[in-house]
Amino acid sequence: MREQPVVDWIFHEPPPVIAKTPVKAPRAHYHIIDPPKEGRVAMFLRAFAAVLKYSSYKGMLDAYSRLSTGCARCSAACHIYRATGDDKDIPCYRTYLLLDIYRRYFTLEGQVKSLVLGGRELCEADIDLLAESFYRCNACRRCSLECPMGIDQGLMTHLGRYILSEMGIVPKALRLSTIREMESQTHTTTAMPAPALEDFIVFLEKELLRLTGRPIRFPVDEPGREFIFFAPASDFIMEAETLMGHAALMHAVGYQDRWTIGTHDCDAMNFGLYYNDWVLDHVVCQLCGEADRLRAQKIMIGECGHAARTAKEFVPVFGRDLKRPAISSIEFAAQMLQAGKLKLDPRAIQQRVTYHDPCNIARSGWIIEQPRQLLRAMAPNFVEMTPHGRWNYCCGGGGGAASIDEIHDYRMEIAGKVKAEQLKATGADLVVAPCAECKKQLRELVKHYSLNMEVVGLNDLLLKAIRWE
Amino acid sequence: MEQWLTFARGPLFIATFSLMVLGLLRLAFMQLWEMVKAWLRMEDHRLPWWKNIKELLAWSFPITQIPRVKPVIGVVSLFFHAALLATPLLLAEHVMLWRRTLGFGWPSLPRVLADGLTLIFMVAVLLLLGIRTFHRPSRAISRFWDYALLLVLLLPFVSGYLAMHPEFLIFRIKTMLLLHVLSAELVFVLIPFSKLSHAALFPFGRLSSDFYWRLPADGPDRVARALHGEEVKA
Repeated sequence: MREQPVVDWIFHEPPPVIAKTPVKAPRAHYHIIDPPKEGRVAMFLRAFAAVLKYSSYKGMLDAYSRLSTGCARCSAACHIYRATGDDKDIPCYRTYLLLDIYRRYFTLEGQVKSLVLGGRELCEADIDLLAESFYRCNACRRCSLECPMGIDQGLMTHLGRYILSEMGIVPKALRLSTIREMESQTHTTTAMPAPALEDFIVFLEKELLRLTGRPIRFPVDEPGREFIFFAPASDFIMEAETLMGHAALMHAVGYQDRWTIGTHDCDAMNFGLYYNDWVLDHVVCQLCGEADRLRAQKIMIGECGHAARTAKEFVPVFGRDLKRPAISSIEFAAQMLQAGKLKLDPRAIQQRVTYHDPCNIARSGWIIEQPRQLLRAMAPNFVEMTPHGRWNYCCGGGGGAASIDEIHDYRMEIAGKVKAEQLKATGADLVVAPCAECKKQLRELVKHYSLNMEVVGLNDLLLKAIRWE
Repeated sequence: MEQWLTFARGPLFIATFSLMVLGLLRLAFMQLWEMVKAWLRMEDHRLPWWKNIKELLAWSFPITQIPRVKPVIGVVSLFFHAALLATPLLLAEHVMLWRRTLGFGWPSLPRVLADGLTLIFMVAVLLLLGIRTFHRPSRAISRFWDYALLLVLLLPFVSGYLAMHPEFLIFRIKTMLLLHVLSAELVFVLIPFSKLSHAALFPFGRLSSDFYWRLPADGPDRVARALHGEEVKA
């Protein structure tokens, strides 16, 4: 393990050494485009004040600052703290960073107290601490399940990152992806040109014909369909089988003429969930705009945890008059299986298979049973990880970390450590992870820890297991 | 001494108890008000009420939650809370006081059980103090008041126990009773101004988090405009 950070911190000065950590561990130092150089404290407080004024976060901060009793139960739930043993990785410790600033600067009680008793002022070093701390967190919300008071540390991380992003502190990888998603021709985080998309689809269709012997189509820009399909953009580059599996699924259940992909926006990703509500809002609007352009009735999201959650929770918020129901393709496949429209070969996948629950769809209890129904219907050697479902551990790439390549060592040695142990204990040959970010992180983990297993999507297996009539 | 005790048990008790009740009502009202504001701002009003209520009930009687992580702390904490609630409410002498004031009372604990609970409470406080001091993650997030409140809570229990057991008396019984009443009143005063207010605010954590995840539709735009003017970019 390297002792030094993999890349230099791109602030104007190196971050202060905050404390000796029990484990000499890689840090989560990410690149920033044009990092703010001076007056960062004032910028932070100004951004904080604006966020408090125009959003509903004040109620949350009020509630949490009175409710947090400091029981430290969250520390046992956190995979990061388990890997480092560093006090600063305790979820409540991180939450206190923001709550302290809130109490000191934005409550009457705190202002009076600091006037009378003095008290600590926010300083530049604190901004560095906040900037790293909120990106060390994977925002997986596992700790909130263990909090007796129900404090949602994931929401605190979300707010912390939001305030930081409003003063220009955003990981370069996330920001560039967002800019590409907003400005490129196909509105994808990879800025894939439309001809490349069309070429790729032709290739997939040929491949599907070869594999199944059936003319399975990817409907493109078809207006008036029931579903408009958005996959994470990385699927169009790296996950051919996941996409083919989806088309095969739609074909097998007789929906081949009831869905479409839009060429003006086919990317389900929304990095706004990771760092900024304004971005979240605008990317959701883009998604709904494309659905409206093609007059689709429903939005279907491919295999991607944060994208599915964003569509489900935030299309009704930011979709305004263009909002429409959103569904995950996993939910859809499970419904079709239950309705008897999807026939699977119960012995199709002979390898030992395990399933990784992406936090964004499993933590709330939304998509847990559905993929398992599908897996049990096609893989006789299905084994569970311990723990799984709502209590599953994050892969270590959550909260956008998987997309930030410069923190690779942090993701491997720290954030992904618990997951790697979990994977190893299953002895599985295949890990099913229906999420673009989890897939990327898990593949890197498998390589890093030399685990003898392959990471696949759920649709990849469906493609092999569908029984054609 | 007699006058002091009468004062502490009379007007001072009424004042501090009312302060506690009104203080907690104020906090609960403020929480509700924030929730109402969030409700009015939010676009999507479908909230997972049933899930949250189920979780709230599960955490109100956390027997099933405790074994998952840190079971020792969980068990100590459970005894701490149970004794903290049961002893003041169900002690025969306290019920008698209530009956005298309110005109009605409720069943009380047998003396032996009340004594046992008091001792359990004292042990639990000492264990919690030990956990805060020696358990690394707890110590890392503990502040002055986390320790101080535990000691303050111990005062009425110790003084009450001593007042009930003349064999241990170090002061005269009236002095002990005065100390007991005053320390309980100190707790009443601290409740609405410290983390002890979770006694009343407990339901708000689980019930309100989803309120704040439902962002107001115009919020992000207004934040961005306030900070960056009309020219907002990703």
